[in-house]
Amino acid sequence: MKVFAAVATALCAVSWAGWSPAVAQNQPQNQAKLCDKPRQMEGFKTCANVEKAEAEGAFTLYSTDPEQGQVKLLAAFNKMFPKIKTSYVRLQAGALYAKILSERQAKSFLVDVVQISDMGMILDFQRKGGFRQYVSPEMEFFPKEAKSKPEGFWTWGSVIMAGIAYNPNNVSAADAPKKWEDLLDPKWKDAINVKVSNSGLQHGVWYMLLPILGGEYFKKFGDQKPRAFDSYVQQYGRLVDGQDKIIMGAQYSGYIEFKAKGAPLAFVFPDTGVPAVPETYGIVDQAPHPNAAELFMDWFLSPIGQKALAEALLLHSPRPDVPPPGGSDTVPLSKMKLLSPADWEAFEKDRPAFAKEWNRIVGTGR
Amino acid sequence: MADASTGVLRPRINWQSLTTLAVLGIVGFLVLLPMVFLVEESLNVGDPMAFPPVEFGIANFVSILEEDLKTVVNTLVIAVMATVMAILIGFTLAWILTRTNVPGRDKLERLMELPYYMTPLVGALAWAVIAGPKSGFINQIWKAVGGTGDIADIYTHFGIAWVMALFEGTVAFVMISASMKSMDPALEESARVMGASKLRTTLTVTLPLVMPGVLGATLFVFAEMLGSFAAALVLGIPGRIYVITTAIWDSTLAYPPDYGRASAMGLSLFVVMFGMLTFYRRVIARGSFTTISGKAFRPRPMDMGRLAWVLFSICALYVALAVVFPIAALLMTSLQRFATVILGQAQWTLANYQVALSLGPVRTALLNSIMLGLGVATVGVVIMALLVWIIYRSQMRGRGAIEYLVMFPQAVPRLVFGLALLWAWLNMPVGLYGTLWLLALAYFTVMLPLGVRTLAGVVLQIDKSLEECARVCGASWGYQMRTVTLPLLKPGILAAWLLIFMACVRELGVSAFLMGPNAKVIAPSIVNAFATSGTELTAAMALIQTFTVIVALIILFRVARGMTKELQ
Repeated sequence: MKVFAAVATALCAVSWAGWSPAVAQNQPQNQAKLCDKPRQMEGFKTCANVEKAEAEGAFTLYSTDPEQGQVKLLAAFNKMFPKIKTSYVRLQAGALYAKILSERQAKSFLVDVVQISDMGMILDFQRKGGFRQYVSPEMEFFPKEAKSKPEGFWTWGSVIMAGIAYNPNNVSAADAPKKWEDLLDPKWKDAINVKVSNSGLQHGVWYMLLPILGGEYFKKFGDQKPRAFDSYVQQYGRLVDGQDKIIMGAQYSGYIEFKAKGAPLAFVFPDTGVPAVPETYGIVDQAPHPNAAELFMDWFLSPIGQKALAEALLLHSPRPDVPPPGGSDTVPLSKMKLLSPADWEAFEKDRPAFAKEWNRIVGTGR
Repeated sequence: MADASTGVLRPRINWQSLTTLAVLGIVGFLVLLPMVFLVEESLNVGDPMAFPPVEFGIANFVSILEEDLKTVVNTLVIAVMATVMAILIGFTLAWILTRTNVPGRDKLERLMELPYYMTPLVGALAWAVIAGPKSGFINQIWKAVGGTGDIADIYTHFGIAWVMALFEGTVAFVMISASMKSMDPALEESARVMGASKLRTTLTVTLPLVMPGVLGATLFVFAEMLGSFAAALVLGIPGRIYVITTAIWDSTLAYPPDYGRASAMGLSLFVVMFGMLTFYRRVIARGSFTTISGKAFRPRPMDMGRLAWVLFSICALYVALAVVFPIAALLMTSLQRFATVILGQAQWTLANYQVALSLGPVRTALLNSIMLGLGVATVGVVIMALLVWIIYRSQMRGRGAIEYLVMFPQAVPRLVFGLALLWAWLNMPVGLYGTLWLLALAYFTVMLPLGVRTLAGVVLQIDKSLEECARVCGASWGYQMRTVTLPLLKPGILAAWLLIFMACVRELGVSAFLMGPNAKVIAPSIVNAFATSGTELTAAMALIQTFTVIVALIILFRVARGMTKELQ
């Protein structure tokens, strides 16, 4: 079993810690079409026509991120380009993607840039010709796995990771689970919460831990009667109020947010590793404001855009030159053992099986 | 009419027929178009994103019986419990406030309407704080006085129904009140003179006479409960209780979305509603509910003596449970850095209000919601009054079918109807998608049942002879509507206007699917905040919304003081 686990981990896990911009620059550009003379702006380079972007005067983002964070992120962009009015739509990944596809089918083009936290949908959208290729001068600072093939269709804007969280007021550090297997202890029965099967992160947790811990692990986990919620906000809220004791697959950015507010929480990075999934951004084909979309992507992928994202949404940037969000005690990506699917196509195909099994585990099964 | 110069008969323009046809044409189009898409999607057994579908079958309906039976049973159990509670509460309060001399009637009546001003999420969030298991306030107090275990658990079937009844049952109160206000007290007085007790008078005179209002409210509230989402979302999921709306929500959030399943589930509720509406029509057809005849009357309340204070206490208890405690719980939550019911670990701040007010799009969304509410309620209520007249007063063939037609949007959960509206309007060759105009049309469509049911209860009480008298005296149809029918309908029209306005401001189901980046409304923003930003910000936003709506209504009523004296 251990040998199987080790092989599986090696096959699946992406080596994040050893990555550097220099390595990325050595990768073939895969039909990349970077413009000849990127223009140097304040803090970033752009191939976009800034004057045309300002003349378009508007930019629309469709995203799965919390509304409050989106407003902050777009306000930071708008501060630099006050002539470009920003707007957004926020929905959960599945609903957002379905909305985009329905709009395109009806030839209603309202969105410029889309962010979706589910790689399956991103790949599907790329196959459907939904993205417009635009190679940003800032993309060279991103690892190759964070970019579409060929480059320019989509790029990871941030990375979300999932560990274990508990409330130290209700669970002592000695009693707290240290590894994923500890969650099967009968003392946690009826005291664990997770996310629903619609969550890309929860799928990531399942997909990465299944080959390591085995199918039997999740069968036994189902016996613990975990409760499923839409969002990390509800998960941490229940921990704080003592309604649950443990979060399995706790979103680290949520922990940073609640901790900063003074909530009694502790986070565990199991030695096996923490599953991680990206939030991906790309310019939509036939975007109504194509120049503003390009300008936004350049700004967003630059250190200033990524810092704005870290401040607004407390998410880790895939760029190693961008500091992690939150305070000094936030663990940077380089210190984490991240477990991320190496084959996103296989990940995408696994979704129906995962959804069925996860719904059974959390009692939402049909 | 003979033309004097030519001697040829020229048909006179029949305004009644023209108006009737225009109203029916518009309403029929607005309601039937999305229904066509909904039926089509429910039969889609192929790719859910294929438009139009290419594979058809009944698998989605079969799977309800095979796989979703527990969800359907949960839905029916909760809806029945909630409807019974809401109608009991609504009838009792309406009777107290319209037929008795309870002290502080006017102020109490305004307070009764408050729960309906709030977004549906508010009540559920507040009661989760008050009666949540393990750490809810009631359980904390229980443990502090030496109790063991949980004395209250809101995450149960009864808990969900309780919250629905308290917060969505206000509509029953407003609808039944409108009927009671239109009742000639002479009938009750006759019973009293003949020696009947107050209770007997209420049960044998008042109740039968307001039966159309009560039945209409029951029908409407039951449909509302079947399609209720917020309480089931906040309270059902932690208790692992899934109802049709939460199952539909899950189906539409997943990718690929299970639209077929959602549509089939929504349409299956049609059968239930069809049966309810048929029952309602049979009851109405059998009796006479006329209470407004040519004889002048002034509503006079019954003198309840000392019992008035007991009745006052009942009203005060409702206000405490549905307004004071929930707002206090939300206020407390909105002042916390992170929402917690354990006050020992709470950290206090005003930051949530600062954040909520600084969210520019949220401000715009709130303004949009209020504008849509004003517009849709004002225009809608006129068209709905005409519809009600067509259904109950005209001699048009097939008018019974129109009553079924206008109930369609209520017979399927709002979330599903929202999807159907999206499919219908997204593919229209007019550029309405993503604009507030589309939201206005969609709101009008889904508010039809609310307006028609509220107005129908009052129309049935108006003696036909009053209208016939006007016609006999030579009034045209338009003149008769303007001078006789509409003034008599005033209490119903005002109640319908208020209900539609409030329902628009808190609308969630269709808004979630039809909102565009530049056409946002407030309810989905509040649900988004609940899902992604925490209860503390949600509470602040919900309180700001409630406060703004109340201020907007006060200003409006002051401006239109003369016209809306009833609502002062």
